[in-house]
Order: sequence, then C-alpha cells, then structure tokens
Amino acid sequence: MSALELLLQQLINAVSIGSLYALMAIGLAMVFGILRLINFAHGDLIMVGSYVALLLQVLGLPFPVAAVAGVAASTLAGLAMERVAYRPLRGAHEIAMLLTSFSVTIFLENLAIILFRPTSRPFPAPAVLRSVITMGQLRVAGLDLIAIAVTAVLLAALTLFVRRTNIGIAMRAASQDLLAARLMGINVNRVIATAFAIGSFLAGVVGLLWSARVGKVDPLMGFNPVLKAFVASVIGGLGSLPGAVLGAYVLGGLEILLQGLLPSGLTPYRDALVFAILIALLLLRPNGILGSTEKEKI
Amino acid sequence: MKTRLAIVLVAAVALLAAGCGGKGGGNAIKIGMLYNMTGAQASLDAPSANGAKLAAKELNAAGGVLGKKIELVAFDGKTDAATIGNSATQLAQTDKVVAMFGFSDSDMTMAAAPIAAKAGVVFVTSGATSPKLPDQVPEYLYLACFGDNVQAAAAAEYSVNALQAKSVYLLIDKGMEYTLLLGKYFKERFVELGGKVVLEDNYQTGDKDFSAQLTKLKGLKAKPDLLFISSGPDDVGTIVKQVRDSGLTQPIMGGDGYDTPLLVEVAGAGAENVYFTTHSLIDADLGTDAVKKFITAYQAEYKNAPENAFAGLGYDTVKLLADAIKRAGSADPKAIRTALQATKGLAGVTGEISYQEGSRIPQKGVTVILVKDGKFTLAQEVVPQKVPTP
Amino acid sequence: MQPESPRGGSPSLPSRLAGPAVSLALLAIILAIASFFAGDYLQRILIIIGINTILVVSLNLSNGFTGVFSLGHVGFMAIGAYTAAVLTLPVSLKVVNLPSLPHWLQQLALPFLPATLIAGLLAMLVAFLVGLSLMRLKGAYISVATLGFLVIVQVILVNWDQVTRGARTFAGVPPHSTLWNVWIWAVVAVYIVWRLGASAFGRDMRAARDNEVAALSLGISVLRSRLLAFCLSAFLTGVAGSLWAHFITSFSPKSFYFTQAFNIITMLVIGGLGSVSGSVIGVFFITVLSELLRNAERGFDLGVFRLPPIYGASQILMAVLFVLVIVFRPAGLLGGREIDVRAILRRLGAPRRGKGAA
Repeated sequence: MSALELLLQQLINAVSIGSLYALMAIGLAMVFGILRLINFAHGDLIMVGSYVALLLQVLGLPFPVAAVAGVAASTLAGLAMERVAYRPLRGAHEIAMLLTSFSVTIFLENLAIILFRPTSRPFPAPAVLRSVITMGQLRVAGLDLIAIAVTAVLLAALTLFVRRTNIGIAMRAASQDLLAARLMGINVNRVIATAFAIGSFLAGVVGLLWSARVGKVDPLMGFNPVLKAFVASVIGGLGSLPGAVLGAYVLGGLEILLQGLLPSGLTPYRDALVFAILIALLLLRPNGILGSTEKEKI
Repeated sequence: MKTRLAIVLVAAVALLAAGCGGKGGGNAIKIGMLYNMTGAQASLDAPSANGAKLAAKELNAAGGVLGKKIELVAFDGKTDAATIGNSATQLAQTDKVVAMFGFSDSDMTMAAAPIAAKAGVVFVTSGATSPKLPDQVPEYLYLACFGDNVQAAAAAEYSVNALQAKSVYLLIDKGMEYTLLLGKYFKERFVELGGKVVLEDNYQTGDKDFSAQLTKLKGLKAKPDLLFISSGPDDVGTIVKQVRDSGLTQPIMGGDGYDTPLLVEVAGAGAENVYFTTHSLIDADLGTDAVKKFITAYQAEYKNAPENAFAGLGYDTVKLLADAIKRAGSADPKAIRTALQATKGLAGVTGEISYQEGSRIPQKGVTVILVKDGKFTLAQEVVPQKVPTP
Repeated sequence: MQPESPRGGSPSLPSRLAGPAVSLALLAIILAIASFFAGDYLQRILIIIGINTILVVSLNLSNGFTGVFSLGHVGFMAIGAYTAAVLTLPVSLKVVNLPSLPHWLQQLALPFLPATLIAGLLAMLVAFLVGLSLMRLKGAYISVATLGFLVIVQVILVNWDQVTRGARTFAGVPPHSTLWNVWIWAVVAVYIVWRLGASAFGRDMRAARDNEVAALSLGISVLRSRLLAFCLSAFLTGVAGSLWAHFITSFSPKSFYFTQAFNIITMLVIGGLGSVSGSVIGVFFITVLSELLRNAERGFDLGVFRLPPIYGASQILMAVLFVLVIVFRPAGLLGGREIDVRAILRRLGAPRRGKGAA
C-alpha cells in the first residue's frame, strides 16, 4: 500500500466513524438547543432501540420490520423520558437537569442489566450491512457508506425542517429564548416534545448502524457513544446542528489520525491527546468552533 | 425532619442486625462464594457461579462431605472493590466460612483475598490467571486455573511448531492486567523460539473501532505469518470481525479471553482460522468424559449449555475444596489449607489439578482450540516445555 | 449561618460552640463504641462513610458553592491515591513491583501522614495548573473540560507503568487507614468547608455562582473564587484518595473512573448541593441504604416465603431513588439548608414551646 493509499484509507475510516458520531451528536444537539439540557440518557435510547431490534429478530421477524420497530421504540422511549423525567423540571437550574439525566441513565442501564443479562449479545444484521466494497487497495464497509448517506440526507432534511416548517421555526425560536417563544403563543410543550422525538428517532437509527458495525449489543453500550456525541457537540458548538456535525467529523478525524499516525508507543495516549486538544480549543473559542464569539451582553 | 431522623435510625439498626446476625452453623459446611453477578465482569463470573452451584448440588445429593451438606454463601461483588471487601468481611466475620473462592480477574481477587488471609481462611480463585497473584497474598491465595505465563508459552510453542509461524503481529489491550501480561509472556517465548515481531500495536478496553490499527498493519511491507491479539471476551468478537473485514486472512491466536460464544456469534464467518488457548474444550461431542457429563448436568440444571470454560472452572473449584475438606478430615480452615496444598492429580472438567511443594498455581495442561465451521474444535493439548518467569 | 438568639444581638461564644461541640462529642462516642464493640464489617462501613464524607464535602465546595460542576474530581482522588501509595509502599515491595522507579523514589518509604499531605498538595498543584485554564469556561463547557481532565488522568495512569504499574493491580499498600484517622480527617474537612462557606469568601463564591455578571460588577473576582475553591477541594479530595488507597490496599486505574465519579455525585445530590450538613447526611443515608439493599437483594427467608436473590436490584433502586429526589426534592434532602443543632437542642430542652421555628 503506497503512502497515498494509506492516507486515503485512513481518511475513509475517519469519515465513516465521523458520520456515526454526527448522527449521535445531532440528536443530542436538538435537545440541548432548546432545553439547555445535556441528555446523558441519549445513549440509552440507542441501547433501547438496538435491543428491541435484536429481540424481534430473535423472535423470528425479518430485519426491516425489527429495524423499524427498534427506531420506533427509541422514539417512544425518548418521548416518555421527556414527559416523565424532564418536563417536571422545566426551568430548573442547568445542574439539576444534568443530574436528572444522569439518574435516568443509571436507572435505564440497571434495568437493562436485569432484563437482558449483563453480557453482550450478538446483533444479527442483513448481508448488505456487512458487505465490504473494494477499490484497489482501499476498502469501505457498505455500512459506512450507508451511514454517510443517511447523515447527509437527515442533515438536509433537518435543515429544511427548521427553516421551512412552522414547527421547525418554532423550535428555532424556542432555542433562542424559551420565555419569549411562549409569550408569542408557541406551544412550548409540543415543540420540546417534537425536538425529543426527532432526537430519539436519530438515536434509534444510530443504534441500528452502530450495533451492526460493532456486531453486538450490551446494556452499557450507550455510554461511550453519548460521551463522544457530547464531546463532538462541544467542539462544534453546543446547540448548533451544523456545529454538531462539524464537531463529529473533527472528533472522528482526530481519533483516527492520532491512532494511525502516532508511533505505537504513543497511541495509548490518543484519548488524552484528543481531550487536551478539546480543552485547548475551548480556551481559544469558548463556545466551540461554530459557536458565537460575541460576549454576553447584559 | 423527625420522620427522616426516624427512618435513618431504623435503617442503622437494621444494618446492625444484618451485620451482626447470621444463621447458626449446625449441620452445614459453609464456603464463601464471591462472584460479580452484575457489572462488567458478569459474563465470566456468572457462568462460574453456575458451575459452582451445580457442583455443590451434586456433592450434597451424594451425601455431602464428612456427612455434612456444603452450603455456598453467595455474594455479588458488583465489580466494585469496596463492595467486594465488605462482602469478604461479612463472609469471614458473620458467616464464619471455612474457605472462600471466586472471581475471574486479579483486581477482584486482590480486593477479597487479603481479607480471607487475615481471617486464616484460604481463597481459591477459579478464573484469575495472573501468575503473580500468589506472591501478593502469601500462603492463603490459590489458583484453580493455570497462569497466563503457561498459556502464553503454550500458544507461542504451538504457533512455532504446529503453525510454522516465523513472524507475528501483536495487538494488545493496554487497559487490562490480563491482556498486558498475556501479550508480554507470548512475545517473550515467541522471540525465544526464534520468531520475529513485525509490529506491536495496542488499543484500549472497550474500543469499538480498529480501522486505524488495521490500516497501519496492512501498510507494512513485511506481512506477518500470525496475528496475536491479546483481548478480553467483550472485545474479541468485534476485533476479529474487523480484522477479517479488512481483508487479513492470517491465522489469529489468543488466550482464554476468546473462550466465549461471542467470538463466533459476533465475528461470524470471520472466526474461521482463529486459535486460542483455554482450560478445556467444552464440547458435547469432542470433550473428555468428564466434560460430557458436566455439559449434560449443566444443561439439565440451567436449560442452556455452559457458556464458556469458566463454568467448568467454577465447578472444579468447588470439587477441589470439597476434596481438600475430605482429606483434611475436618472443617478447620488451617487443616483445609494444608490438605489443599497437598492436592495431587485431582481430575476435573478443566484438567488435572496438582500443587507442587511451595507453589499455589496448579500444573495444568493447556488446550489449544481452533474455530472451524463455526465451532470450537480441539487443535492440540499442549504442555509447554518452558514457561516465562512471572 | 448562625441564627440570632431570641434576645437579639449575636450569640455569645459558648452558645456558638454548642452546636459543633455536641456534634463532635456525639461522633467521638459513636467512634469509641464502634472501635471497641463493633466487628470488622461495621468498622469498614464507618470508614467508608468517613472517606465518602470527605469526598462529598470537598466536591460540594466546588460544585455546590461555586457552581463549577466538576465531573472529573475523581481524577484528584486518583492522583492522591497513587501518590500516597507509591510513597508509603515498603521498599522491598517497591523493588519487586515497581522496578523502574527512579532510585531516590524507590528507596523512600514515608509514614502515613506525610505521604497523605504530599498527596493532597500534589493534587492541589495539579488543580491549580488545570484550573487556571478551565475556570474561565462557562457552565456545561467546564463540565466537559473536567471530564476531559478525568480521561487524561486515566490515560496517564494506565500508561505510565514505571510509576503506576499501568492497568495492573497496585497491591500491597499498607493498611494505615483506621476508624480514627479517617474520621479526624473527615472532621477537618467538614470544618474547613463549613468555615469557608460561612465566611465572606463563601458569600463571594455563592454570589459568583448565582449571578456571575452581578458579582463581577460588585468587584468579586469570579476567577479567583472559583480557582481557590477548586484547589482546596482538590487537596481534600487527594487526601481522601490516600485514605481510600490505604483502606482498600489494592486498586487499579479503573477504580477511579466514571463509576466512582457517579457514586460521589449521587451522594452529593441527594444530600443537597450547597449544604455541608446535607452532604454528611447524604453520605450516611446512601451508604447505609445501599448496604442494606445489597444484603437484602441476596434473598431472604421470611419463614412463610422465600425471596430469591435478585442481583442488581440494589443498583436499580438507588437509581430510582435518585430520580425521585431530583424530581421531587431537587435541592436535596436538606433543601440546601444546614442543620441548626442549637435549634434542635432548644427544642429538646423546651418541648412545650409551642409552634417554634424548625
């Protein structure tokens, strides 16, 4: 493999993993934009959808049906989460909401451990999601191409949604100033529920792709993805959808590049370096790459 | 305020009761069983606990030991050191067990064994394979399984002799003691036998994406004959799958961390041509008679086949302790320890256990397994000629 | 903090000391009883409560008082634990377990107290360097950055094998932590945080937490108050780390990662952010409750029926409890206020006082 092919392959790897991070980050960003809530339990929505899809397949249902059911389950779980855990806390301090999302995630994870046993279980996926496409020396997983495509399509759809539809515009208003939006007659409950629904829908989709890529599910599978999504959103600028996507690709790229280019003695420090870069970035641009640079006006 | 205070006081009293109480001894020999039934270690410990309980049940059905029933006092370690310490203390102080056993991991074992030792009670680890363990808790810590230096040496010798491998690529999980040691011992023995390491790379426990490492490997000019991947059970399926998906066809070799149904379930066809060392082949057709009997009994009791060799290890550990108690002629912890050290040629599901004078790691043979047609098959039983010092 | 006496004017010194004196006396009695009569198990529980108290109270100093919600404080605990353990490990063990240690360090074996102090100071130094950059950030960004700090500490611990043995178990730490020295530290920690909270500086911290802009306009240096709280809380957390290391006697980097962080935050929240006595109550409540549940989940025999073991039930119940507290009592069990021991004494002394203040 020539040096160029090597670089290209690593680039493909980076874009592949970046797309998955992007889907996760968008879901998180949707909710943060309006509620200023970092929903740690977002990862568990990924887990819920994956397990539902798994169990239905174990019961004999074909993958497409199980997949749709999985995504639906995630969406419903997200809506329930909003209604039960977050709505009573509307307007509370940012910290209280962060802690609530911690507690929801601990609750869901332990529930899953009891219901589904703590061990990993293999995730059956159809052949198309396991195919590998070769172009000379380069290889791309079919699944990664699908992830990239899905990310692009969903991002476009979402952008149209928040620009053109009434409820999308209402969501943007709510994320700018919740109180003012309410005063303007916007049904804030419905807007928030919609944001959660979309975010959870995305979590369900990510769950399928991620489980197919990794090949298995386990009750704690959502923790690491949500951490990545969180970091990606912060890099790009919390609350901004394009920022979430940009941050995700930056994160994926950093991880792959550091793992691929550093000498083997230094690769274990990969995560530390990623976070060090994150902190340095935040010092230069405290609101993320695409976040606003204007000072807070009083 | 008052109600809350009252609740707190009631709770404290109840806790006192829990800590101080304890059923009377009577007609049973109590042995403490410590496994992580929840938390990250559960996939190894839960089958071990099942195996152990099955052994106790069989022993009691046959009349018990020294005329008394064996009672396993079980605690869930929750993969948490403080909980394990508390549980071990309860076992020693409240339940007054005569022996303790459990765990498949060195960290967990080290959280409990010193407490057992302080109480004068042996701790036998069923699945923690670090050969350094007995040195850290003198006299009272025993292994029922082989040490990592033994299985790594077996793997190296098999690779060189049977697989004719002259060069190897190493991928080591840096986040676990087990994988670090295994990789280290393998490299040492392989190089000693004249082999060459083309590249040594690493990852962190729980990593899900290995594309960067694999791309680096494929970019090498010198292609290795063998890929040695030192991985725990949770990551092995994902790694093997990605290795095969990236187009690498060399044989893959690993340790007993590969002994999990997840290997074939997750990696699918990619698990072909994967070798690993483990304690025994748990297969209803190809196993020894002891293994076949064990599988049948396990299936009957738990409605599924033993998940991995760790189930067998838990089973053998209880039988090992029962045998020691029988030979000691009493349930006195000190006598049990002396009898345990004198164990010679005790046949079990996972091989034969004997302790040499002064050593608390058994000399056990290593089973090398090959994955063929999606099933575990026996490649060879290996007793390493030379073993790296711990 | 100190309520006015019913006769007006600030309370006299003896009555001001009454509250703390009573609490301390009560504590000393409990500890004395425990050290003589309680078995190892109960003593372990009390030690765990003591160490957790230090952890939660010091986290409260940073999270509760200044509003800097640090998710990475366990990193300081790790620094404290490893530093103290490396210092107190007997030379013979060092030679075997840490062969590549620099010579001067390898020949050194310090007693418990100096090692613990050094551990705390090192943690504080790291906090200072890290805090200089982090304390400027806002809200959620500080939380992510501190999380990053935790990951960085973890990675360094796992890879700096010459000093930490990497991912391998660090065992053989001498068991220096006893009921008494743990609780003496706990009392010291509670005292420091309490006094700080009650002082003018504490007022500045809370002002900066509640409204940064207003505080700045009053001349309060937000950066300085946050940094000081962060460093002091890191010192105490580092000390707690050392106490923990000498209690558990064997650990590895993963003992100081997300699970531990969540545990501490859980106790902090349930006790109440910003309330020192709340933290103590929260720690006691959670530790006792989780031990009770842990014993209960093993299944019990009520004669009439037998409840089989449901492992994992205790974690779920704790999580449910956490959700309930957050939803129904978001300010914690004590509602952010402090226990007023003098008022309790007064009430006990004059029960027929009518509807007195709580």
